[in-house]
Amino acid sequence: MNRTASPTSISTAQPEDFFQLLKPRVMSLVIFTAVTGLVVADGEIGWLTAAIAILCIAVGAGAAGALNMALEGETDALMRRTRGRPVAAGRVGKNDAMSFGVILSVFSVMLLGMATNWLAGGLLALTIAYYAGFYTLLLKRRTPQNIVIGGAAGAFPPVIGWAAATGAASWQAWLLFLIIFLWTPPHSWALALYSAGDYAKAGIPMMPVARGAKSTRLQILLYSLVFVPVAVAPGLTGLGGAIYLAVSIAGGAGFLFLAFRLWRSRAGDQPDKAEAVGREAALYDVRAEAKPARNLFAFSILYLMALFAALLVESMTSMMRL
Amino acid sequence: MRLTPEQLSARKKRNLALAGALIVFIVLVFTTTVLKMKGNLDDRKEAATAGQIAGAAS
Repeated sequence: MNRTASPTSISTAQPEDFFQLLKPRVMSLVIFTAVTGLVVADGEIGWLTAAIAILCIAVGAGAAGALNMALEGETDALMRRTRGRPVAAGRVGKNDAMSFGVILSVFSVMLLGMATNWLAGGLLALTIAYYAGFYTLLLKRRTPQNIVIGGAAGAFPPVIGWAAATGAASWQAWLLFLIIFLWTPPHSWALALYSAGDYAKAGIPMMPVARGAKSTRLQILLYSLVFVPVAVAPGLTGLGGAIYLAVSIAGGAGFLFLAFRLWRSRAGDQPDKAEAVGREAALYDVRAEAKPARNLFAFSILYLMALFAALLVESMTSMMRL
Repeated sequence: MRLTPEQLSARKKRNLALAGALIVFIVLVFTTTVLKMKGNLDDRKEAATAGQIAGAAS
């Protein structure tokens, strides 16, 4: 029998490459929102079980990221933002990334179900299938609304945390879901406004590519007008307290101001030919008129973190008082 | 088939990482099992105590 494997077919992927498959930066946001959901829910869950639950949610989210990278290797290689990813750069094989994602998905869902309850486990499984299957395979290349519908995947972690702590997903948990769900379009489209060229090259119909920058700026403003009142809502329904209310109103005003300024700007408009000639822009080298888009993108991350941090701080403070 | 030193080193690192991950997984499953068993025992104790109180009251 002749074994045809050659030394060149043996991978040189490092453990760090597999860690990068988990999208650690996205994972940190997932951990943060899941912890908030778990703590705010105020269920009867021990700290050790809570820690295992958070680990499972983080690994499950990472597994979805690995599946996404395995499925999108060729597309990622076409975009500056993603071409350094392990599969796109050729450091990890597509099949290896796929196996890694599937194994981590199964283990994280099973362990979360065993450690807490099967509602939480089921929601984690749904999130992974939604992101890797529904969003990556079906939505992303078919509709400019990809990020609107696909944004649900990123909104599930606080609900999973809530379900892990209480065994149920109450309307407050879905309010947290709604906040992230409505936050995603203005956040993602602000980024897309200054990297639309990349998306066009990769054939992804992001809103600025499919409908143009002007329409995208208007939609960002409209989504922001819906998002900010929803972000303030927990402060009026008893889920959040005075700190949350102050943070959500002040930050919401800032968010709306930046969205309005973006709407009035020329961010994402095609550059003049003379200006574009001979200019290979670096990844975050934003043209002056696109700065309002970058400002909103950066502020949106800060605002979401501040909202969940306020909820977390208030819950922990009241727990310490008891 | 002879592997290059780079391939050997990468494979060794991957194997070590995999071994570490497996150990963590085993510890997590063990911990979860113990926590679940402890929870069930506590529930039974509570139920037995409630039964005794109910019996004494009647």
